Amino acid sequence: MTTELNLQDIQGNVLKTYARQDFSYARYVLLGINQPAMGRRFIRDLLPLVTTAAPWARPGDDGEAMPKPRATTNIAFSYHGLKRVELPEKSLHSFPEEFSMGMRERGDVLGDTGRNAPAYWDPVWNRKDGRVDIWLSINGQSPQDIEDRYGKILEILENTNAGVTLLTGHRGDDDADDLPYQDAGALRDGNGEPTPKEHFGYVDGISNPFFEGTLTDPAYVLGAGKPTRKSPESLSGWEPLETGEFILGHRDEAQELPRAPIPRSLSYNGSYLVYRKLHENVGSFNRYIKAQGEHLPDGAEQVAAKFAGRWRNGAPITTFPTKKQADRFIKKVEAAKKEMAQARNRITKSVARVKYVRLLGKFVGFNYDDDLAGSRCPVGAHARRTNPRGALEFGVKDAFDTPGALTNRRRLLRRGLPYGKSDENSGDDGNHGIIFMAIGASIERQFEFVQQQWINYGNDFKLANEKDPLVGNHEPEAASATGRMIFPAEPGSGKAPHFCSGIPQFVETRGGGYFFLPSLTALRMIGQGIVDPT
Amino acid sequence: MMPVKNTSGRAYGLTLLCPIKNESRDDRSYAEILRDYLENLRSDDASPMAKVPNTYLARFYVLNDVFYQGYGFREEHLKSKYLVFSSNFHGDRDTYVRGMWNSNEKGVRAIWRYCVAFDDVQDAQGFLDYVKRCQVDNALFFNGSTDDFLVEQLKALYLKQEFTRFAYDNQGVGPEQLQKNFGEFLGRTQPSNVDEPTWLPGHPNQ
Repeated sequence: MTTELNLQDIQGNVLKTYARQDFSYARYVLLGINQPAMGRRFIRDLLPLVTTAAPWARPGDDGEAMPKPRATTNIAFSYHGLKRVELPEKSLHSFPEEFSMGMRERGDVLGDTGRNAPAYWDPVWNRKDGRVDIWLSINGQSPQDIEDRYGKILEILENTNAGVTLLTGHRGDDDADDLPYQDAGALRDGNGEPTPKEHFGYVDGISNPFFEGTLTDPAYVLGAGKPTRKSPESLSGWEPLETGEFILGHRDEAQELPRAPIPRSLSYNGSYLVYRKLHENVGSFNRYIKAQGEHLPDGAEQVAAKFAGRWRNGAPITTFPTKKQADRFIKKVEAAKKEMAQARNRITKSVARVKYVRLLGKFVGFNYDDDLAGSRCPVGAHARRTNPRGALEFGVKDAFDTPGALTNRRRLLRRGLPYGKSDENSGDDGNHGIIFMAIGASIERQFEFVQQQWINYGNDFKLANEKDPLVGNHEPEAASATGRMIFPAEPGSGKAPHFCSGIPQFVETRGGGYFFLPSLTALRMIGQGIVDPT
Repeated sequence: MMPVKNTSGRAYGLTLLCPIKNESRDDRSYAEILRDYLENLRSDDASPMAKVPNTYLARFYVLNDVFYQGYGFREEHLKSKYLVFSSNFHGDRDTYVRGMWNSNEKGVRAIWRYCVAFDDVQDAQGFLDYVKRCQVDNALFFNGSTDDFLVEQLKALYLKQEFTRFAYDNQGVGPEQLQKNFGEFLGRTQPSNVDEPTWLPGHPNQ
């Protein structure tokens, strides 16, 4: 049964990856509410700017679809923020505990200790005079579009007579630590064109989950839905995940409605947003892969690929074990994309599309059944940990009812962008990292579980207490690099595995929070103060 | 093959339900005093059970009453509170229970002194007879253990850890040097000597 979603009721960032739709600039703003009535007024005034998930008109369309705007806006609330707009007690108490506690209080679960601890976060998260109540995002097609939209929002803020205030204290370039917003944006290539890369050089954001009700090309289910027992390179190898894994009020993978706050009109079509500012220690990363690379045939690139499970150009290492193969493959993908974009008529378009989907099968449609020991993609690689694709059956035939039994409920919709600038001479200090965002129906079951069990622990992968090499907390207490990882060799090949030890901390938490992302209906109700859980 | 009662291979699962005397001291019931005592026992190498040979995993708790499952079920109550002792170990029951008494008579007395009919226990055989009367059959086994002698398991874990360190430390070392280093490793870790060097029972930071 297919799910039809009311896309005009769902906030746009739930279904859209703005950065992939020409919005390569972003600004994140945090607000504090001083007067509840003004907080509600701010929401009402902002509503016309809030971007929904409804599809935009394509060039040449003459239907009713809205044209693509120059900028988008989305809004979400912390638990404290919902309190400040005077949501009824009964509704507040119906939110899950991890949300009401907030990211800061969940540090032990998340590994936000040592250098990840809140003491090192941007000052905006440590303000004594005001807590973060509202999270607001602007995505724009150009820096000017960001400024224009930001200006409009400041006007709306002004009308609250300081009833809602902009919280300052974001860090930025040149040691600034009192900025009123966090800017982010796609990294640019030499020609100033946006790239899908982050500061370590990896193509990021591949294999976002695909679920029921999204109106994108059904071929995108490849490698992005839940695995079936058919070939992972074929469309029948995947099925869309249930909507309720990502949007409240709809059936989830347990075949029930997700636990959600009351009344239903408050939670229906809403979701949760995890926002995290992650600093990247570019210097340490480059030094480490260079040093380890001396022991591997494809050098530093191979170390980077073994760490991530994908080559830095995006090609999966389990399918393309050498750099040469990976480069050749990505060239083909780029050519196919270009061909598709340049196709003039329906026939050449569909021929190009068939070609592209076949390549997509190799790019994202794979699993680890032929690489159980991890001699190509290590079992502890970042992408294999965070999206095991049925690898938790460990090759045991039909171990579970479905190969994704242990993974389908742990998927994360990732919406993030890099911030700051870096180059090959960058060190660890400076302003460069990623704004990581994850959207899902349960912060605890999805984001927190992945963070605690799959990133900062290894037992589910039979890797004892090994952590994710890239984003694991390798310096939880002492200032010593404790990270370890094994690159296994093919069993029976007579070759030795490679051991990486003394892995330093590559990524550090610099702030973040848990937010509720209401539907448009719920936003109106919150703004009018008419949420009624009785 | 039918499983033998209370055993899994060479592992034995012993569970005792020992009634606690319905008495009190200084206005505190024996059950409460005992629970307090048990909760303050160490669970590391200073645990009284770390002294008992071949213990894989042991736990004590005080059972207050049976659980009422709600409407539609009969509500029942125990006539007294019970000390529950559950242990997984290597070998046969009688040897283990005698070993428990002989290795730590004082510790055994400190716990069971609150229990009905324990006053009559004077020696290892007496403790064994008492245990037999309190035993309930079960098939609960600690999944984190094999059924080998405890010293062998601890030595194996020690060797695994040391060998991992060795592998990390000697990566890329040439054959001759590697062989020399491995010789030193064998000399230091003494793989066939189960007594030392090894992990201590219950030691938390190995």
